[in-house]
Amino acid sequence: MKRPTRLGEGQKLILTANRLLDGHIVWRDAAGQWRPSITHAAQLDTDTAQTALETLDAQKEGVVGVYEVAVHPGIPPSPVSVRERIRAFGPTVHPEFATELEP
Amino acid sequence: MNAPIGHYQYDSVDRDFLAARIDEFADQVARRIDGALTEDEFKPFRLMNGLYLQLHAYMLRVAIPYGTLDSRQMRMLAEIARTYDRDYGHFTTRQNIQFNWIRLEDTPEILRRLASVDMHAIQTSGNCIRNVTSDQFAGASADELVDPRVHAEILRQWSTLHPEFTFLPRKFKLAVSGSPEDRVAARFHDVGVIARPGPDGTLFRIFVGGGMGRTPAVGKEIFDSVREEDLLATLEAILRVYNAHGRRDNIYKARIKILVEALGIDAYREAVLAELAQMDMALYRLTPDMVAAIRARFAAPDLTAPPDATATFEADRARHPAFDRWTRSNTHPHRAPGYISVTVSLKPAGGIPGDATSSQIDGLADLADSYSFGELRITHMQNVVLAHVRQDRLFDLFQALDELGLATPNVGLVSDIIACPGLDYCALANSRSIPIAQKLSARFGDPTLQEEVGRLRINISGCINACGHHHAGHIGLLGVDKRGEEFFQITLGGRSDNNAAIGEILGPALPEDDTVDAIARIVDRYLSIRELGETFLDTLSRLGDAPFREAAYETA
Amino acid sequence: MKRLELSTRAASTVDAVPFAELAEHPRARGVVLTSDIAWDALKPYLARLDLIVLTFPIFRDGRGFTQARALREYGRFTGEIRAEGHVLPDQANHLRRCGVDGVMLGENADDAPWHRELRRFSTVYQRAIGDVTPP
Repeated sequence: MKRPTRLGEGQKLILTANRLLDGHIVWRDAAGQWRPSITHAAQLDTDTAQTALETLDAQKEGVVGVYEVAVHPGIPPSPVSVRERIRAFGPTVHPEFATELEP
Repeated sequence: MNAPIGHYQYDSVDRDFLAARIDEFADQVARRIDGALTEDEFKPFRLMNGLYLQLHAYMLRVAIPYGTLDSRQMRMLAEIARTYDRDYGHFTTRQNIQFNWIRLEDTPEILRRLASVDMHAIQTSGNCIRNVTSDQFAGASADELVDPRVHAEILRQWSTLHPEFTFLPRKFKLAVSGSPEDRVAARFHDVGVIARPGPDGTLFRIFVGGGMGRTPAVGKEIFDSVREEDLLATLEAILRVYNAHGRRDNIYKARIKILVEALGIDAYREAVLAELAQMDMALYRLTPDMVAAIRARFAAPDLTAPPDATATFEADRARHPAFDRWTRSNTHPHRAPGYISVTVSLKPAGGIPGDATSSQIDGLADLADSYSFGELRITHMQNVVLAHVRQDRLFDLFQALDELGLATPNVGLVSDIIACPGLDYCALANSRSIPIAQKLSARFGDPTLQEEVGRLRINISGCINACGHHHAGHIGLLGVDKRGEEFFQITLGGRSDNNAAIGEILGPALPEDDTVDAIARIVDRYLSIRELGETFLDTLSRLGDAPFREAAYETA
Repeated sequence: MKRLELSTRAASTVDAVPFAELAEHPRARGVVLTSDIAWDALKPYLARLDLIVLTFPIFRDGRGFTQARALREYGRFTGEIRAEGHVLPDQANHLRRCGVDGVMLGENADDAPWHRELRRFSTVYQRAIGDVTPP
């Protein structure tokens, strides 16, 4: 799970995981809440992301497999990799399965 | 109910076992939630009950032992798709079904509902002996010598919660066939077993060390003629050598194929014989009584057909060209006069290979009841077989399938594409597999063109783990990630039959749309250079890959 | 450390020395066998041993199951086989059925899941060497 993330020009990091109970993908907001939409994920610098990763307690917060994702900032932020865009917005097949985004 | 046609009939002992196994899993889930088990500890246990944490959610892979199930079980799969998933099931290359949108907290309940129809998800994943696969035409095919399902069931039971082989270096896949024509890819399994009749009972030819993945390997013959009574002892010995000596330091080198390569097949055989020489054979003997007891749990279909069944069928074919074409691609000769086996394609032009909606799954269950003794099989090509159809009723079945959108006449043809779920669903993938499969099957969707092209199989994997079996595709596509863009590497010449071979890389990887164009040009080139009666593989072996390389990389 | 019983065989009280030191301790009656050493390395010593301790570096390392079963089936070892290291309650039946008699657990470990596992199944689908000595 742990791989160093190199950030491109102007990119930020956001934190993601799956919820333990239902497996739903979640994103961490500025208040430390895990939310099912990427829209309000806290957009962090490398150092703050690292600190958050080291201090959060996945078991207590009910999540599995926490890691950081490089994004182009914005609302919603846009993940750099295809993989993370698919995680954020849903499979590219079956458009009816697209992830519902918070406004 | 009466014993099901085609698979082993459970009794109260089997049902008690399933109930205990589900209680055990529910206990594991509870310990995971309260923190007694860490995720690293829980993971192998959930995997051994078929539960992955995939890209979007948990995914549950349900076992369909030797690919055979009855209509009641099929309807339960539809019910699970409707209730716990997003109304879809996805049939896999290991003859199983998986559900992509499952919640951990629902899983014990789903397993209980499966158990209510004698189904489970045991050992559909994990580093253990996996669900046993077999011939989709078992017990039906005209060319069959031994019905492999009885021994497949014996191996299913023997491998279930095996005390010694549940924490292997890596996964372990078994396939069993009873036909001289290998339809199970025996040489691409960790162990492939081919049964044939001998003078004093069934004999088994055993291959070891085949597999796909990062280091593809064609299995090597370890024994030519294992006697039935020694079958379990021999498999125990093969697994003991692997469990003791298989690598555990690197998961990419942990499969048995790496150990077989490292030792050489002769040394591996010697090691197995050394185990057998020490074994307490009484403990492992597969007696005729044990085999008979399992065989007795399989009901046989009454395969009597009216004398004019074949004449009626031929008359239907003559009257209806579309039916005739579908018959040519989607049927297989049956051992009983007046009967035929049908492969229902789950590969409509532009569709997702292996996907079925709950209403299609229900519809197939109904058709199985009406036309095939309530029995269905899932194929490793991700299609569905109705194995025992009376020929005079085939045209009715065809029309009913057409109404369900399941009468695509392309089995074994270029649009009958095998694809892994790819990056749209899979946490391991580097690229998507489904969209390019959809583009290719749309490109080759015209039934006349496909029939003209003839037998040609495309396999697509979204990463090097090769779940789409690209190494065994006549044309194989491997998705690779090039600086965030999806590219596809093309291989030619793979096959999984008696002449199993690993496809060879044609040239540099291409972007998705260019890959579709390149394959279209490869197919065009084949059509223009083939000799009369040659399949794609024949032309490839006669001329080598140079003409196809030239066609693939020609720039317009 | 506390010992959890998997079989009815009485626990041995002898000390176990590392396998590498076994040759130099002719009076040692117990040995620790790590998972990377094949069972037959113990063949010359089996007659004098009362205790063999199998170590599990991680619960997923299943070599210990083959070691235990081979010691019983091939070596006809009738002394105590004990498991130590990272083993989980979910493995209780596998250990027992391969011929392991007991597991060493941390002082604060919860025994309850182990006992639940040992009572869980009334059916097995294969004959195993340890089935002859149920707890």
